[in-house]
Amino acid sequence: MTTTTTGPGSSPPSTTHEATARGRVLPFPITGQEIVLLAVIVVLWVVLSLATPAFLTAGSIVPLFVATAPVALIGIGMTVVIITGGIDVSVGSMVMVCAVVVAEQMVSSGLPLIAAVLLSVVIGGVLGLMNGVLIAYGRVHAIIITFGTANLFRFLGLQLFGGTTVNGIPDTLDVFGRGGSGRTLGIPHSFLLMLVIAGLAWYYMRHTPGGRHLYAIGGDANAARLAGVKVQRRVMLAYALTGLLTGLAACFVIAQGTATLAPNVGDGMELAAIAAVVIGGTSIMGGRGSVFGTVLGALLVQTVTSGVTQLNWPSQLASLFIGIFILIAVGADLLRQRTRRTA
Amino acid sequence: MSTAVTPAAPTRDDQPAKPATEQSLLRRLPGTLLRALLTQRIVLLLVLLLAVVVTFVALSQRNYLSAAYDTSYMATALISAVPLVMLGLAELLVITSGRGGIDLSVGAIVSLTSMVFGFAYGQWGWSLWLAILLAAAFGGLLGAINGYLIAFIGYPALITTLATYYAFSSVAVVINDQQPISTAPIQKLYSTAASVNVLGLPVPLGTLTFLIPTAVVVWLVLNRTTYGRRLYAIGTNDVAAQWAGIDVRRSRFTAYVMAGVVSGLVAVVTVAQFASARPDAGTAGNGMALPAITIAVLGGVAITGGVGRVAGVVLATLLLVWLNAGILLAVPGNAGSQFQLFALGAVLVFAALLNGLTTRRYGGR
Repeated sequence: MTTTTTGPGSSPPSTTHEATARGRVLPFPITGQEIVLLAVIVVLWVVLSLATPAFLTAGSIVPLFVATAPVALIGIGMTVVIITGGIDVSVGSMVMVCAVVVAEQMVSSGLPLIAAVLLSVVIGGVLGLMNGVLIAYGRVHAIIITFGTANLFRFLGLQLFGGTTVNGIPDTLDVFGRGGSGRTLGIPHSFLLMLVIAGLAWYYMRHTPGGRHLYAIGGDANAARLAGVKVQRRVMLAYALTGLLTGLAACFVIAQGTATLAPNVGDGMELAAIAAVVIGGTSIMGGRGSVFGTVLGALLVQTVTSGVTQLNWPSQLASLFIGIFILIAVGADLLRQRTRRTA
Repeated sequence: MSTAVTPAAPTRDDQPAKPATEQSLLRRLPGTLLRALLTQRIVLLLVLLLAVVVTFVALSQRNYLSAAYDTSYMATALISAVPLVMLGLAELLVITSGRGGIDLSVGAIVSLTSMVFGFAYGQWGWSLWLAILLAAAFGGLLGAINGYLIAFIGYPALITTLATYYAFSSVAVVINDQQPISTAPIQKLYSTAASVNVLGLPVPLGTLTFLIPTAVVVWLVLNRTTYGRRLYAIGTNDVAAQWAGIDVRRSRFTAYVMAGVVSGLVAVVTVAQFASARPDAGTAGNGMALPAITIAVLGGVAITGGVGRVAGVVLATLLLVWLNAGILLAVPGNAGSQFQLFALGAVLVFAALLNGLTTRRYGGR
């Protein structure tokens, strides 16, 4: 199908007649879903600030942004993976492995900031590459492989934890934390860094041949291969990228926690990231989606979570709302597809 | 199909007129065996099962294990096979229905139905049979929510069941304020999870009352009813099935409802096993959905739909359960359960890679 998103950005416009007729090769930078999401978030914020006056204060919004950063960061990688038609449910366990290795190294050898971040990112990248190789070259459905590697990573992480917690973590990573040293002019560094990466990812996905190839793979992998896209290598790199971002997110997670790291770190982050991606309007079937949608989706998920806490409702109720938001978002996506097909 | 030749058997008999002599039969034997091993999942599982049991029995006889790995230990270990087989069969039904069919919400259905069963049997004083019926019906209702969204509206199964996983598990926790229900009648239910003596072995009662009946019923549904044939048809090619006059949407919907009913029954089993209706019965830790999907994939259920057998699921469960039981004896303490995670992950990746390999080499079935 010639959904406009799958048009290769590198080809001259004259070859895509339909695209030139409509005046553009690429879709409009901001999709309808993103505007709707933004509206929903604004409405939620207004409602929440009316219900609890403490909500729209810096003491409440800044932690919200800080907590959004790791989920959104993983979500950016997950968006790329899902756009290629895959999925990665092992990121939660990946966060655990990265976090425990970095935390232990910081405690035992006083790792400096740069080295800690690099170590985390490299470990994440290696684990992601492992997923990528198995999925791209083993030609196995992504969800099966990543379910399997999720268990393997969890085993690795638990072995590293050795049945206890990691205690006395130094404040090396506090530049990403929720404290005063984690902000410049009131803006949390982690959120800022996430936004920069989101911007880069957005530009890559939208304006470079490599990014358009990823969309093409998700639209129809076979057609993409026939058109000269190196499908297997691109898919492998998508998972490796997710691993890198997950490694960075693990640093944020350490920085946001206390001086103690418990083995349940990263639990459920894969579901939160997938929820953010889907709420952000990325099609789970691949081929369509945007990075900014995911950032907004992560913000929405986090708003719901912290809103439920601030209203003094049972915190587990947040999952119910997230589930409902997922269903609404996917329903809206289905509806849009149907109208596009009939139009 | 017929041109596929394994490296072990380079001889290729293209002349059908030539009768298979003893010589060529013998020479083809290794290839035939390898092919059977790779394409017939049942054969592979039987071999692996044998390898696992022989290994652990041998280790046990040399006193490497912390307790004896014998037939009675293996029979006792079946207690953990009961929910696994049943949920594996639920996944079999759903995955076989095709179009990316999968059910991540089975664990959450177990949690929520556990609570409902706990209310009915433990607090409202319903009779056991009525409460079990309610659990099955309620599970079916939750499955119907999945099925309606997926089959009739066209939601992708993965994301729908992820959303309902969130929703159901949240409601299960909130419904009784995070408290488990363990009143007197529920605690008495524990006796039904006890073992009975079958041929001198302590077999858990749940195997006889829940596991075997469920397996038989699912087998009958899949292999002896028109519905079963329809399910395989829509899983293989739902457009062709539609043109053949099959109500694709209703058949798929029914698969999710049946998965829900089975999950509801699993809730009863877990309540009896823990002597308490816990709000996180099916979602604690890794949850129940992941092992169930692992079992189904290991049992030869193709994630693309249309392929899968009850015997494969049952054998895969036995393999995993007896492997886990052996690991518990070989690796003492907390590390044992961690090595079980490793075994689960490694076995899943291995099975998936093998599936991919056989599809490429032998072109599927």
